[in-house]
Amino acid sequence: MSENKSATKKGKKTKLIALSSTEKEYTFKNPLEKKIKYMGETVNLKLYEDPNGFSYVLWKNKKYPLEIIEKNQNKYTIMLNGVWHTFTVETPFSLKRKKFLEKQAGDSSVVNIAAPMPGKVIEVLVEEGNEINTGEPVIILEAMKMQNEISCHVDGVIRKIAVRQNDSVMKDDLLIEIDKNPG
Amino acid sequence: MKIKSLLIANRGEIAIRIIRTAREMGVDTYVLKTSKEPNAWYLEEADHIIDFTECLSDTPEFLDIERIIHTVKKHHIDAVHPGYGFLAENPLFASRCEEENIIFVGPSSEVIYKMGNKTVAKEIARKNGIPLLKGSKGTVLNAGYAARMANIIGYPVILKASAGGGGRGMRIVQSEAEIERLFNMASNESLKAFNDPSMFIEKYASEPRHIEFQILADKHGNVVHLGERECSIQRKHQKLIEESPSPALDKELREEMGKAAIKLAKAVGYFSAGTVEFLLDSDRKFYFMEMNTRIQVEHPVTEMVTGIDLIEQMIRIAQDEKLKVSQKDIKLKGHAIEFRINAEDVQSGFSPSLGTIEKISYPENENIRVDTGVRDGSVITPYFDSMIAKLIVYGEDRDKTLQYSTNAIRKFWIKGTKTTLSFCRAVLQNGNFRKGKFNTSFLTEELRIYYHSEPEEEMLAAFFAVYDYVRELDEAEGKKLNVDKGKNITPWLLNKRLR
Repeated sequence: MSENKSATKKGKKTKLIALSSTEKEYTFKNPLEKKIKYMGETVNLKLYEDPNGFSYVLWKNKKYPLEIIEKNQNKYTIMLNGVWHTFTVETPFSLKRKKFLEKQAGDSSVVNIAAPMPGKVIEVLVEEGNEINTGEPVIILEAMKMQNEISCHVDGVIRKIAVRQNDSVMKDDLLIEIDKNPG
Repeated sequence: MKIKSLLIANRGEIAIRIIRTAREMGVDTYVLKTSKEPNAWYLEEADHIIDFTECLSDTPEFLDIERIIHTVKKHHIDAVHPGYGFLAENPLFASRCEEENIIFVGPSSEVIYKMGNKTVAKEIARKNGIPLLKGSKGTVLNAGYAARMANIIGYPVILKASAGGGGRGMRIVQSEAEIERLFNMASNESLKAFNDPSMFIEKYASEPRHIEFQILADKHGNVVHLGERECSIQRKHQKLIEESPSPALDKELREEMGKAAIKLAKAVGYFSAGTVEFLLDSDRKFYFMEMNTRIQVEHPVTEMVTGIDLIEQMIRIAQDEKLKVSQKDIKLKGHAIEFRINAEDVQSGFSPSLGTIEKISYPENENIRVDTGVRDGSVITPYFDSMIAKLIVYGEDRDKTLQYSTNAIRKFWIKGTKTTLSFCRAVLQNGNFRKGKFNTSFLTEELRIYYHSEPEEEMLAAFFAVYDYVRELDEAEGKKLNVDKGKNITPWLLNKRLR
């Protein structure tokens, strides 16, 4: 945070990077000037709020409605044309540090299975210590009166089961931890 | 008897849709106001609002048969239109209306009962020579019996709730190893949803299309079909995109399937609007699946290509009129596609996206029809289904309709909730969908990503994140501080200024 602030203080020399959830980097120089270099050409874009209350960006004569769905410090979720994207806003320095820290943490062998939607746990189909293969169901979750099978997306061993039958869970709550490289 | 007043025992877009036609026919309309959405749009469209906001029982308002019957009698209302869902296919409700001399805008309670019970419906179809998939003759009550039946029929099989609908209590079983677990799941689901755990089992036709025929039948024995609707674009048996005509049918097959639909309707003494659902396999063989004894969500595509108002026909039939059209008068003209716009987060497994519709705007022209029950400020509650609008696009042919659809979706803006519009774009982008080559496994086998975003869109979103971040910092630095408005002054800022 503090580096970001000092970067903008210089005003004219702002350079910031939006890092997407898929690790894609978008670098923008002096964003307040609304000039974007993309695919080798520089395009001016315009931001509008129309009389109906929609915000949109005008880019190459096309309108893209947008709204900020969530914002927390430098983390953003932006809905643009009906699809949401998440980013963290980084300075060149904070990005470097972030990458360094991630490298140090190394590849974790634990994979989490999280609830894809809010609901109620109807049945837990596995036990701790079980071996599990990709595609095998682990939990039955009821949401909107439908029972959904939550299946495993890796091969491994069940390390921990975080929920029990009849538990209510929120979206993204941890259900099960799986160890990809046991032993 | 001519219907002079009508209670619409439903809400949302279908209530508004029914009111629109009823008003044109000079029928006085009544709706029910519930505490779950006391400010809903449909209330304003009706001539009269009946207050159901006081909670009198645990039964949800639109399912409370006796309360509705009592209300209709108290207000001397001639008829009830149930819409879809809720009491639309409840034989008890229809029979209570019959007992109380209230006109039920739909078929008789006896027909609703027969067609609602899938094992009975199949038996009627079998007796009338309508093709069926191999399956259990009666209901299956336990997993062991299901496994024995499946061995006779041959895998894959599909388990369905006898009393089911809407994809609930339904499972496809690929092998014997799965059948016990899946049977118990489906049966449990069915027990919860329909208060009936009984199942039936049948051969699962792989990669079938879902083709349904709209029929109209009067009380004088006249039955016509209004062509088909292609409803193969489904997720977990929930329809998402429907069109008419189907790219898979030619004139001969349409005639053959339409005849089968009419034969079934005649066999049960059907009257009102109804839908006969078929599976069409890759060899172009069709099989009867079930009959829906109500108006369907996707009825507008049929209205667009036939020019016939189905709600009007239902009301006319209910007041004993004869059909004015015969089969030869019915011509399918042009092509129509319906996109269901649900408040769901496509990027998180279609999970429900509750909240408030801050803003909604959509294009309007002669090729576009939007049926919706929401407007700016409408709240999406967890009490009802997630559908907020239907976008129906009409064109001279399928290619034109696809082209108009892409434009219409581009101009369909909703702020405040996540919707399935991004899914509609993904389907419209798909080459095989455009060519008309798809079936019910489209979502699981063909469409890899359920939403569509152009590369520049992610970049523009990234830009906006950075832009907002810098602008906020800038404002915090006091460069663009708006003292007059005052609302931009955070405590953090005040501290700084005081210093």
